[in-house]
Amino acid sequence: MEHRHLLPDEIDLLLDGEAGFGVQPLQAHVRRCALCRAELEAARAVTAELESLPHFAPSPLFTERVMARVQLFEPTHVAALDTVRRYVPQSRPARVLAGAAAVSVAAVLSVAAIWLGANADSLFFLADTASERGRSAVAAAFGRLVAGAFGEPALDALSGGGIAGIAVALTALLAVVLVAAFGLRAVAGASRRQRS
Amino acid sequence: MPPLLDLANLPDADVVTLAQQGREAAFRELVRRYERPVFSLIFRMVRDRETAEDLSQDTFIKVLNHIDKYSPEFKLSSWLFKIANNVAIDHLRRRRLNTVSVDGSPHAASAAEAEATAFDLVSRGESALEELESRELGSSIERAIARLRPEYRSCILLRHVEGRSYEEIAATLDLPLGTVKTYIHRARHELRRELEHLKT
Repeated sequence: MEHRHLLPDEIDLLLDGEAGFGVQPLQAHVRRCALCRAELEAARAVTAELESLPHFAPSPLFTERVMARVQLFEPTHVAALDTVRRYVPQSRPARVLAGAAAVSVAAVLSVAAIWLGANADSLFFLADTASERGRSAVAAAFGRLVAGAFGEPALDALSGGGIAGIAVALTALLAVVLVAAFGLRAVAGASRRQRS
Repeated sequence: MPPLLDLANLPDADVVTLAQQGREAAFRELVRRYERPVFSLIFRMVRDRETAEDLSQDTFIKVLNHIDKYSPEFKLSSWLFKIANNVAIDHLRRRRLNTVSVDGSPHAASAAEAEATAFDLVSRGESALEELESRELGSSIERAIARLRPEYRSCILLRHVEGRSYEEIAATLDLPLGTVKTYIHRARHELRRELEHLKT
């Protein structure tokens, strides 16, 4: 290298820690020349100060303000997968246990489904009988209600059908609706008064 | 409820993939990772905290609303810094155009007209925000950075505060590599000169 001091570009090369054929003579010169060594040290001091500059934090609500203006759309299948993932245990033993429990439940349900399929006829008969008895009980109770409210002739008219029967039925229905409406209104009013 | 995914330990590309699927947690993780570097860069460029917050929000909103366009061959951080730099430079240009001179209108035809259009600055004391800004940006090195040209400032901040290579800076700022090296070289020289001047 010629007998001259380092150029600013050469100081930069050393500052950036460049390696290569042309760098060694520069490093050798710096070892010999106090002035260039001082220049390099001064440049290093500036870069060290730059590299120690902190990152500043924005306000605490920064993320919320950004998210309020970001267009988010989560597809249904992604949301469903995330929901399922939330309930899958994190640890392996827990996952094994959960898997065993799920298999047991599936086995029990499968056996139950097979039994139901094999005994479907009996079950339908039992359901029919129960439903018939239920219908009879409701009809008897309704008949007693109509007889009590409007008298036996009204009950006979309702049983017989026809216009009179329809009128009785509609009257009964209207009465029930009005009672229900007034009842709900009373409950709502009481609840409002309690809250205030 | 346990955390859904350990997003903090995933690389940027994976978090971006989750964000592209619409997962809100992934969007929040990206903001959490880069809010400080982006805000710091813009704050040092515009030197006003409130403005820096607004511009930083704009940066993230632009990136996150177009996250489907992100290509994994580029670094997400480079994309963020590119937009951050652009919004800061645009703001500085608009501010320069809107600056009113305290010495009177530049179009004044006479000294009397200049005096008529000048105005006095009345000291009104620092607000809490201004006091915070003075503290944060009041050191010699921060004041020296503020005196750099915006182009030099962004290069030197990306090089020495964000630790980017020359090639990354060139790709981020869409500048030739030689130009980046020149800007950084001049920025270092001006900073040294400014720091020596501030010491005397």
